[in-house]
Amino acid sequence: MAQEKNMAVPQLLSNVELVKQGAEARVYRTEFLGKPTIVKERFPKRYRHPVLDQKLTHRRTVQEVRSILRCRRAGISAPVVYFVDYMSHCIFLEEVVGSLTVCDHIASTQQSESCQDQELEWLAQRVGQILAKMHDEDVIHGDLTTSNMLLRRGPEDPESNLVLIDFGLSYISALPEDKGVDLYVLEKAFLSTHPNTEALFEKLLKSYTASSKKSSAVIKKLDEVRLRGRKRSMVG
Amino acid sequence: MHLTQELELFPDHRVTQMLFKEVKNAAGLRQSAVEGKINGALINPTMLVNPFQVLVAANKAVHLQKSGKMKTRSLYSEIIFNLSPNNNISEAFKRFGISDGDDSVMVVVVHNKDESELLADITAKVEGRQIPVEDVSSLSDSAKIKKLYKITPQEEKCGTLLDAVVCRMATKDVM
Ligand SMILES: Nc1ncnc2c1ncn2[C@@H]1O[C@H](COP(=O)(O)OP(=O)(O)O)[C@@H](O)[C@H]1O
Ligand SMILES: [Mg+2]
Repeated sequence: MAQEKNMAVPQLLSNVELVKQGAEARVYRTEFLGKPTIVKERFPKRYRHPVLDQKLTHRRTVQEVRSILRCRRAGISAPVVYFVDYMSHCIFLEEVVGSLTVCDHIASTQQSESCQDQELEWLAQRVGQILAKMHDEDVIHGDLTTSNMLLRRGPEDPESNLVLIDFGLSYISALPEDKGVDLYVLEKAFLSTHPNTEALFEKLLKSYTASSKKSSAVIKKLDEVRLRGRKRSMVG
Repeated sequence: MHLTQELELFPDHRVTQMLFKEVKNAAGLRQSAVEGKINGALINPTMLVNPFQVLVAANKAVHLQKSGKMKTRSLYSEIIFNLSPNNNISEAFKRFGISDGDDSVMVVVVHNKDESELLADITAKVEGRQIPVEDVSSLSDSAKIKKLYKITPQEEKCGTLLDAVVCRMATKDVM
C-alpha cells in the first residue's frame, strides 16, 4: 500500500490552465474545493542527481510553506495554503484574485503620463515597511524581486494589500548580513527591471530603515555587500 | 440543507456535510461510530469556522488514503485528525470529535455519485433538528478555536479566522 502511486494531482494539472512555466516550477490556475486556486508545482531537474534533486525540491516546498505561515502569523500578507502534496511537490494556494505584480504595476505606472510619482512613492514605502517587518521575524526571502510581490486590488484596507509570494528560497536567520544580502538582491533586480528608479529605491530603503529597530546593522551590511559587488565587477 | 462538494482531485468522490442541533443521542451516535455502524465522521461543530474547513480536512484524508499514508485507521477518523493543528491523535478526537453530552453535531460523509440513501440513513439515526450547514458559524466557539490553533491578533489583520485555521491544518506536517 505504501508504495501505491497516487496520481491525482498530476492528473488534475494536465487539465488546467498553465499560468507560468519557470525554471524551477510551473504555476497553474484552477478551482479547488470550489475556490480560485494557484497550484505551484516544482518539477525534477534532469541535470541534478535524482536523490539530491528530490531532496532539494522537497526542501523548497517545505521552506515555502513554512515561511508563508511564519509571515502570516506576524501579520504579513501571504497566500493562504490550502493543501500540499509532498509526493508531487505541489502547493495549493489561495489565488489573490485580480491581483497585479508590483513589477507590472510599476511598469504600467511609469508608462502612464499622469501623476505617477506619488503613487509609486507610497508603494515603495509600503514595500520597505513590509520587508522590515519580515526581517524582524527573521525570515529571509531569498528571491526578492518586484514579481514576487502582489498588489491585491479591492476594498480591503490598504494595510494588507501587498502580498508576498514565492518563498521557495527562503530561510530563517537573524544575521544582519543575510538581511543585507536579501535587500541587495532586491536592489539589483529592482534597478535593472525598472529604469530610472534609483530615487524610488532610496525611498524604499528609507522606509525600511524607519520601520525596523534592527535596520542600522542591516543597512551597514548592505553597504558592505554593495562595495564587494562593485569590487568584484571591477576585477572580473 | 446539506452541502455537497465534489473533490476536484478525486472526481468520483464527493463530500457531504449535514448539521444538526438539539441533538439528544450524542452518546449513542458516538458509540455507533466507534463500532463502525455509522458511515460518516461525527464532528463537534463548535470547533468549526466554516464548511470549507471540513472540505480541506476531507480532501487531505482521501489523498492520504489513496497514497497509503493515513495516520489513523479509517477515512473518517483521518478527517477528524486532519482538523487538528497538531499530531496528537487522541487530543484531536477529544477536541474535534463529539462527546457524550454534546447537543450539536456535524456529520461528514464521503461518497460517490448518489448519496440520497446514505443521507437518509444518517438523518434516521440522529435525533435532532437538521439546520443549514452554512449556519455552522453560529455554533462556533471562536475564542476556543483561536486558542487551540494559536492564532495571533496580528494574523487576523491579514486574513479571516478561516484563512488562519486552514493554513494551520494544511501545513501541520512540516511545522
Ligand atoms: N497566490 C497567487 N495569486 C495570484 N497570482 C499568483 C499567486 N502565486 C503566484 N502567482 C503568479 O504566478 C507568478 C509566478 O509565481 P511564483 O510563486 O513567483 O513562481 P516562480 O518561482 O515561477 O517565480 C507570480 O509572479 C504571479 O504572477
Ligand atoms: Mg517568482
